[in-house]
Amino acid sequence: MNWIIWLIPAFPLIGFLLNALVVRRERAAGILASVMVGLSFAATIAAMVVLEGAPSEAKRLTWTLWEWIRIADFRVAFGLLFDPLTAVMALLITGVGGLIHIYSIGYMHGDVRPVRFFAFMNLFVFAMLMLVMADNLLLLFLGWEGVGLCSFLLIGHYFDRRSVPPGINPSEAAVKAFVVNRVGDVAMLAALFAIFTNFGTLSFYDNPQLGISGYLDQAIVVAGEMVDLGAFGQLPLITGITLLMLVAVTGKSAQFPLYTWLPDAMAGPTPVSALIHAATMVTSGVYLIVRNHTLFDQPASAAPWVLVIGVMTAFIGATAAVAQLDIKRVLAYSTVSQLGYMVAAVGMGAYVAGMYHLLTHGLFKALLFLAAGSVIHGIGNYQDMRRMGGLRNALPTTFRLYVIGALALSGIFPFAGFWSKDEIIAHAWFDARSPLAAIMLILTSAVTAFYMGRQIGMVFFGRPRDQAIHGHESGVAMRWTMVTLAVGAVIGGLINLPGLHWLNSYLRPVLQEPEVIYTVGMGILATITTLLSAGAGYLGWKTYACDLEPRIRVGKEDPLFRYLGDLWRGMEIGWGLDWLYQRVFVRPYRAASVFLSDVVDREAIDQVLVDGTARGLVRLAHGLRALQNGYIRTYALMFLFGVILVVAFFALRG
Amino acid sequence: MELVIFLITAVVAIAGAVAMLLSPNAIHSAIFLLINFVAISVLYVLLYAPFLFVIQLIVYAGAIIVLFLFVVMLLGAERAEDTRERFAWQRPLGVTLATILLSLIGYLALRNPLSRTAVADQHFAAPERIAEALFTTYLLPFEITAFLLLAAIVGVIVLHTAGGRELRTENQELRTKNQELRTKN
Amino acid sequence: MVPTSYYILLSALLFTLGVAGVLIRRNALVLFMSVELMLNSANLALVTFAMARQDIAGQMVVFFVIVVAAAEVAVGLALLVAIFRTKQTTDVDEIHSLKG
Repeated sequence: MNWIIWLIPAFPLIGFLLNALVVRRERAAGILASVMVGLSFAATIAAMVVLEGAPSEAKRLTWTLWEWIRIADFRVAFGLLFDPLTAVMALLITGVGGLIHIYSIGYMHGDVRPVRFFAFMNLFVFAMLMLVMADNLLLLFLGWEGVGLCSFLLIGHYFDRRSVPPGINPSEAAVKAFVVNRVGDVAMLAALFAIFTNFGTLSFYDNPQLGISGYLDQAIVVAGEMVDLGAFGQLPLITGITLLMLVAVTGKSAQFPLYTWLPDAMAGPTPVSALIHAATMVTSGVYLIVRNHTLFDQPASAAPWVLVIGVMTAFIGATAAVAQLDIKRVLAYSTVSQLGYMVAAVGMGAYVAGMYHLLTHGLFKALLFLAAGSVIHGIGNYQDMRRMGGLRNALPTTFRLYVIGALALSGIFPFAGFWSKDEIIAHAWFDARSPLAAIMLILTSAVTAFYMGRQIGMVFFGRPRDQAIHGHESGVAMRWTMVTLAVGAVIGGLINLPGLHWLNSYLRPVLQEPEVIYTVGMGILATITTLLSAGAGYLGWKTYACDLEPRIRVGKEDPLFRYLGDLWRGMEIGWGLDWLYQRVFVRPYRAASVFLSDVVDREAIDQVLVDGTARGLVRLAHGLRALQNGYIRTYALMFLFGVILVVAFFALRG
Repeated sequence: MELVIFLITAVVAIAGAVAMLLSPNAIHSAIFLLINFVAISVLYVLLYAPFLFVIQLIVYAGAIIVLFLFVVMLLGAERAEDTRERFAWQRPLGVTLATILLSLIGYLALRNPLSRTAVADQHFAAPERIAEALFTTYLLPFEITAFLLLAAIVGVIVLHTAGGRELRTENQELRTKNQELRTKN
Repeated sequence: MVPTSYYILLSALLFTLGVAGVLIRRNALVLFMSVELMLNSANLALVTFAMARQDIAGQMVVFFVIVVAAAEVAVGLALLVAIFRTKQTTDVDEIHSLKG
């Protein structure tokens, strides 16, 4: 029954092909795409059932389609793998993905290019499934690149518009996303090369069918090897490989310093932001690390760096989110921040906690994005929060769902985020013995609650600041998908409740991680964190719904700017990283491109070489033309000249 | 003795050629060419070619020069050329190139001079021998030259009967135009 | 005994004079005469070699050359007459309409 795992990516692929080649109407495209993802979800459930039948030592289903590459010793199979880790990811992708597809049917109604949208959404689901279901690094890389490509295509959905709120050019945002991802991809490729060179294979686990061995079980073998970097000294091999992977994760999962693309990615339609930039694509980096956990478990690995990057990003993202004025950008920076949590978790070796947070975050962040989309859709496509206000009466369902999502994100008991986030913090304090990391994470949690409170206060409370806006609630498709997600956000904590540890047990065959024993200390820590977050959230809400509310005006600065000044400005621009990249990379590159195109291409090559050659030939022709002037005596002269040459040749030859 | 005759004849030939080149009057040029041809025929005698000596005089000096003279008089070409020279630079260039050519040929000639043995048979090119060769070994070229002459005759006639009528009418038109212009002036 | 090289040099000189004549003179008739001069110089060279080698073939060639030259002069002069009859001049520089 192993073949059933092929159905999981096959359905979205078929959906993509049909939408791309055959379907013409919006309604058909949307329904087809959603049905395909739904079928994929069903196939995932079926595969999970089949998986239960596999022995627990090698709890995985594999199905190799064909031997993809075979060049001397380099052998790669085109095969899929389905083990508990994959199952969990696939559930998230197809489940949340399916819901978002259904939501999109309502949201994208009346859009200019709906068929393209649904085709690429299906392609994205396919690529993401390939990523998590690949049984070797090369096929994973295929999916990795594929999701990057679909991200580009979907962010640029409104490519014909010069600017979308809040003032981003969609094409430029798409290019930025792709290029920044590329930086990570280069590191990923280098990691692939390093792994192949040292392990001789790119497969994760042994593939007896094709005789390819897996490298994950061999990690201990290369523990002591060093890489000679010449003048830079020596580096342990594992450090090098894991460091490269970390860079790749930084790019794909929007960690510091490659997170600048995610806020701009909000130029895409809201369902895209929900699916790709909240629930799935950005989590592929976390999946990569978890899959390669045997490498990261080695003592010489770059795991400490992973932790540092994760904590940094979490804090930076949260602080940046505080000062945003666009409803989606708050959520974008929030995603950056929460990904930092996940990355920090896997950096500490708490893989289950990282996956736990990945799952719960997927649920409530998707919910938040869809609800934000509902708000935007309901008020006529405005995204500036200064224009909103008092919308809880006009959009009651959306309001309630948003609050649920916000509470989950802030980590308030008993919503989903509380359990996952506090497990990470507990791990940081108790197991990893990094109190600094734990404190940073706790502070970040407080800041998170603050900005969610701020957002709810600005959007749903206070007086309606823009008289031209009249909100209306969303349609059926949109509402019921959000409700489903909200249910998940509420009860999502059940996945890995302390004491029950369902996720840990489920992932045991892959990760072999010991269960967390819940001590009283952890309970106290969790309580402190929750109270802190709740307080911060209330503070945020109160400031923006009541105290400073009169000072919020359309087109004016945020009220807190008056008190914090430059600090606020720094937060608003994401601590200037994007500004730095613009100055250092983008502008010189653009200048060089303009130079090459205008000066080199147009002038030097076109004028001098191409036109110049033509003009030179014309002049030559004119010159040669003068030879044939019609006068006999001139011709005779030329005869003579030729004769002299011939005679001279004979005279001087002998 | 032979050398003296050769030198005198050579000088005459060269003088005739130079004079032909430099003479402004075309008829004078033709006469000087005639002198040149006669000198060359004398040289043929020195070179044990009696038959050619006679042929040269009859054909070249007798027929071709006469033809030239007739045409010169027909076209009225004895006038001197106009003084304006369109390509003044061609004259020195031409002379220079001709000198170069001369030096090259001279070099080639003198590099491996053909040694002259005493002529064993003075009559190797007597008319009988020539006749014998002409009608045996060279019979085919002989017949072909006959055709060649025929073609030349036909060509000349065609050139002048077909063009003749047009030329005559053209001439008439030109004369009437001339007269009209004269009467106007 | 006159060395053959003298005859060859004389032939070369006459040839060169003929070439110079073609280049320098503008009168069509004189031009043509220069061409005949060149032909004659070639004939002289041929006869010289015939004598040096005691071979009659050289003189036969000269015979044919003379015949062909006669035919050529006839046709050439006919052409010249055809071209220059309508013009008042025999200047070859007047014939330049076939230019590139």
